[in-house]
Amino acid sequence: MTIAFVHRHVLEDHITGFETKPNPHHITVPRHPTILTVLAHAGSEAAVGAALQRLDGVTLRFCGPCEWLCVSETVSAEGLLRLVREIEGASAFDHSDGRVLLQITGPNVRKILAKCLAVDLHPEAFAIGRSANMLVAHVSGNLARTGENSFEIIVPRSYAGVVFEELKEMGREFALTAGFSEA
Amino acid sequence: MASLITCPHCGVRPKEEFSIRGDAVPVRPAPNASDETWYAYVYVRDNPKGLIREYWHHTGGCRRFLVVERDNVTHEVFSVTDAADLARSASGEVA
Ligand SMILES: [Zn+2]
Repeated sequence: MTIAFVHRHVLEDHITGFETKPNPHHITVPRHPTILTVLAHAGSEAAVGAALQRLDGVTLRFCGPCEWLCVSETVSAEGLLRLVREIEGASAFDHSDGRVLLQITGPNVRKILAKCLAVDLHPEAFAIGRSANMLVAHVSGNLARTGENSFEIIVPRSYAGVVFEELKEMGREFALTAGFSEA
Repeated sequence: MASLITCPHCGVRPKEEFSIRGDAVPVRPAPNASDETWYAYVYVRDNPKGLIREYWHHTGGCRRFLVVERDNVTHEVFSVTDAADLARSASGEVA
């Protein structure tokens, strides 16, 4: 018996398409982002970190000592895995299907996030490009600041629905909309 | 404020991100140590008032074990160190 698996995003049932135009406050959900977990072997943290930084089209998310997430919307998981595994002292695993990427943006994005996470996100305290693991709506995830007023959240797939609904609820005062990215 | 712990890797975080894993003072005895030594290591605790050292696991963040030195009366936190770094410096090993 052969089974044909159909790729279906876990938030498919949460994003129903009633909202046609994105508001200034918006959550974008890329359908197929590449997300790798990379660990550095003992003693090679600095070298692996520097090598990962040099990868094209990939942004690096700090998780903890010797641990990163590599995120890309342009490089395929197989391609990126090959590149990362060439780095001396690095171990990598493809988590693209196990993690969900949420991009939240808007002038009052910090007021929305302040209701579901307890970390100081003031522009001076959390610079563009910074990232860290933290509790997001009671779920352990990774948050990164990608622009002046834009953040990216990565949570485990099975928790994505809960986190997504929580963010939508917290963003109601700013008419937060959500949708999949077209690409 | 004991409710804010400054993780050496993640910065200032609320205590909800951590799980407290107990006294960091007892040192694990050798496998062939006497039953009395093992009994003391597993069960006997001082429960002091004032300065204490505990293992805090940063479950909601970097997932590292930390050693938090704090006062259980005033809730003042004196130091937060990565437990692995602490063990390495104690054994003279360079990370
Ligand atoms: Zn931490």
